[in-house]
Amino acid sequence: MSYQFSLGIDLGTSNSAIAVADFETGEVSIVEITQILAPNQIGEMPTLASALYIPNPQEFPDADVAVPWKSDDGIIGHFAREHGTLVPDRLVTSAKSWLSNPHVDPRKAILPWASEIPDEKLSPFECSRRYLAHLKEGFLHAGAAQGRSWDLDHGQIVLTVPASFDEVARNLTYEAAEAAGLKNVVLLEEPQAAFYAWTAQAGKDWRTQVHPGDIVLVCDVGGGTADFSLIAVTGKDGNLALDRISVGEHLLLGGDNMDLALAYTLRTRLEDDGKSLDDWQFLSLIHASRAAKVSLFLDPTLDQVAVTVPSRGSGLFAGTLATRLERATLEQVVLDGFLEMTQVTDVPVETGGTALQEFGLPYASDPVISKHLARFLTRSLKNVKASEALTALVSGRPGAIEGAYLKPSAVLFNGGVFKAEPVRQRVLDLLRSWNDGEAVRALEGDEPDLAVAKGAAFYGKNRATGQGLRIKAGTARSYYIGLESSMPAVPGFKPPVKALCVVPQGMEEGSDCLIEGREFGLVTGKPASFRFFSSEIRSGDVPGQILPNAERELEETSRIEVNLPVLEGFAEGQVIPVRIDSVVTETGNLELWMKHTASDQKWKVEFQVRTE
Amino acid sequence: MKFAAILLVILNAALLVPAAAPYLPFIVIASLFIAIVVLALAIATAPLPEPPTPVAEAVKPAPLPEKPKSDAKAEVVMLMGVLQEKGRFVDFLMEDIAPYSDADVGSVARSVHQGCKAALNEYFKIEAISPEGEGVTITVPAGYAADEFRLVGNLSGEAPFSGTVVHKGWRTTSVKLPRVLNADKDRLPVIAPAQIEVK
Repeated sequence: MSYQFSLGIDLGTSNSAIAVADFETGEVSIVEITQILAPNQIGEMPTLASALYIPNPQEFPDADVAVPWKSDDGIIGHFAREHGTLVPDRLVTSAKSWLSNPHVDPRKAILPWASEIPDEKLSPFECSRRYLAHLKEGFLHAGAAQGRSWDLDHGQIVLTVPASFDEVARNLTYEAAEAAGLKNVVLLEEPQAAFYAWTAQAGKDWRTQVHPGDIVLVCDVGGGTADFSLIAVTGKDGNLALDRISVGEHLLLGGDNMDLALAYTLRTRLEDDGKSLDDWQFLSLIHASRAAKVSLFLDPTLDQVAVTVPSRGSGLFAGTLATRLERATLEQVVLDGFLEMTQVTDVPVETGGTALQEFGLPYASDPVISKHLARFLTRSLKNVKASEALTALVSGRPGAIEGAYLKPSAVLFNGGVFKAEPVRQRVLDLLRSWNDGEAVRALEGDEPDLAVAKGAAFYGKNRATGQGLRIKAGTARSYYIGLESSMPAVPGFKPPVKALCVVPQGMEEGSDCLIEGREFGLVTGKPASFRFFSSEIRSGDVPGQILPNAERELEETSRIEVNLPVLEGFAEGQVIPVRIDSVVTETGNLELWMKHTASDQKWKVEFQVRTE
Repeated sequence: MKFAAILLVILNAALLVPAAAPYLPFIVIASLFIAIVVLALAIATAPLPEPPTPVAEAVKPAPLPEKPKSDAKAEVVMLMGVLQEKGRFVDFLMEDIAPYSDADVGSVARSVHQGCKAALNEYFKIEAISPEGEGVTITVPAGYAADEFRLVGNLSGEAPFSGTVVHKGWRTTSVKLPRVLNADKDRLPVIAPAQIEVK
C-alpha cells in the first residue's frame, strides 16, 4: 500500500492531540480539533479535553451541541469538562486510566464512576472509542475545511500509549481505534514518541547532541500520569543506534495533583481567615492557582501573585475572595512537595494500615515523584543487569551500572508540567545529587504538551517510508503463563504457582517464538483458562524458562482463555497435545497461539479482561 | 457597538471631572475594557484580511461553507459571553461600583483583568503598531497605512514625517473566535445563562 500521510494520535488521560505528517511536503503539523466550547458555540483548540459529558435529555437542544459530523456520542472536549465539573454525575474523565485498571472490566458500562444517573452508562472501552472517533472526524473535518480530503486508506495511523500499559490495555486501545473506524493503526510508546519529536525538532543537529554511551531518561509527566523510559545510545559502523532498555510502572500522578495541592493550601488559608468556599468557588480556585503558578514560574522576578476567586452570583464585590500565592509557598508545595530532594534509596511509601479503602482508580499513594523516579532507576538497573545484551548496550557509559541505580547521562522532558523551568531544574538537581554531583544534561525539547502527537506522526512517516530513525524497542515486558504446581496437599500451605516464560522482553514486531520441548495437554470442547503474568525487570528470561513462584516475582496481568473445538479424529473431551507459539504482529500486538503438535492446526488464545 | 462607544466617550469625559479623581484608575480600566470591546466588535463585524499563514502554522479549520449562519449580531453577543465567562466582564460593568472601596475594586479588577486578558490572548493575536515604545522619536515613512498611524500636532509638508510616539497603537493579526452554531433563531443568543443549582 502506498501511504500519503501519517496521523499521530496522542490519546491522553486528560487531553488528546493529533498531528499529521504530509509525505508530499515532509511537514509535520498539529491539527486543531473542532469541539463544542459552550452551548451554541463551536471552535478549534490545539487539544481535545479527554472528557465526555452525558447531557440530561432536556438540558441542551441537540442543535446547540452538535459537531459538524454525524455523532450520537455525547459532548466531548472543552465544554464537556468545564460544565461537567459542576455536574460530576454526568462527566466521564480519565477513561484511559480505567482502561488499564486491573480491578474492573473495561468493557462493562461503569462510567461515570459511582454516579447514579438514570441514563445509560458507558464502558472505558466505549469512551476511548468515542474520543478516537472524535479525533478522526476532527482530522477529516479540518482537512475538508482546508480543501484537502485525506483518505484514511492511505494514512499510516500511529496511536500512542503509555510505556507502562500492559498487553491487555494495549490490545484494548488498538481495538477501540479499529472500532472508531481507524485503519492501518500501529501503537507507539509515548516516551518514544517524545524522543522522535525531539529528533524531528533538533533536525540533523540531534546526532551531535547525543553520543554513543549516552543513556537518555525520558521523563514524561502529564496532567494525570507520570511515565518514565530509558533509551540507550550506541554507535554501530559510525551510525547511532537507539534502544529502549527500560519502562516504568503505571503511575497516576501528574500536574493536576500539583494544582490541586496548591488550591488546598490556599483554601486552608482562606478558611483560616473565616471565609468559606463552595464547590464552584473551589474549582475557580484551582484554575486561579494554576494561573498563579504559571505566572510565578514564568517570571522569576515576581515574588507573589494575587489569587482571586469571584463570587458565584452576578455581584462581584459582595463575595470575591482574595489571597496571594507567594513564591516560597509555591516552591514548598510543588517543588518540595512533589520533587523533594530525596535520596536515591528512598522509595515510595505503599499505603497500608487502613483496611477499608474507597474503591476507584489506583492513584499513586505517595505523591513524591522523586521517589517514584528513584524506584524506576533502581528497577531499571536490575532489569539491565539481568541480560547480557542490555548490559552491553549501556557499557559505553562508564559506571552506569555501578551502584544502586542505573545512571542516566541526559534527560528529555515531556508533558505540561515541564513547561516550567524551575521544575525542570529541580529534576536536574535531583539527578545531579544522586550522581555524586556530576551534572546530567537536559535535551532541549519543544512544546511539551504537543510533542507526543508530533513525534507519533514523525515516526509514522519513518515507518511508512522505511527511512529515517527507528528506536529499537520490542515488547517492554516479558510474559508468563501460570502453571499449578503438583505438590502433596499440606494444610495451611498453598502451593506456589509456577510460571512459564512465553514471551521474552524485547521481542520485536513481526517475529514469533515457538516454545520447543514443552507440550501442554488441552481438553477439547470446553474453554480452558490460564493465569497470565508479566514483568518489566526480567530481561534475562528466555522462552520456555520456568520460574518457581509467579506471585512473588511477577505481576498478574490477566487471565487468558482458549476454547478448542472438538477435533476431527479425536473423541470429545480428549486431551490433545499442543505447543505454545507467541507472535508479535507487524502492528506491535501480542498474540498467543496453541499449536497442535501433530498437525498444522492452531488456535488463538484470547486475553480476558481482568476482573477480581 | 454604538452603546459601547458612547460609554467610552462618557468615561473618558469623566477623566476630566475633578470629583471623579478617586475613581480615576478604575475609570481608566473601564475605558480600556470598553475600548477592547469596541476594537473586538470592529474586528468581529468587519474581519480584516488575514496575512498569509506561515508554513509551520497549525492547521486551522475554517467554518465549513455549507453553514453560512454566522449572524454578525449573534457573534458580537457571543464575544461578550466569552469575556463574561472568562473574566466576568459584564458582571463588572453592570455593577454599581460607587459604594466600594478602592481596595475592593482593585481586587475585583485583578480577577476581571486576568480572565479578560486570557480570553484576548486566546482569540486574538495583539501587537503594538509602534513597538519602539512611547516617548521615542520615530519616522513615519511615505506610503504609510493611514489607519495605522494618526498624525497630530504640526502637520505640514510631505512624508516621511518624524515625530514622538504618544500612544503605541494596537493591531490584531489574527482573530480566532468561536463560531455560533445556531444564529438563525428569532432572538439573539444570551450573554450568560442564569445558573440554577438543582438539589
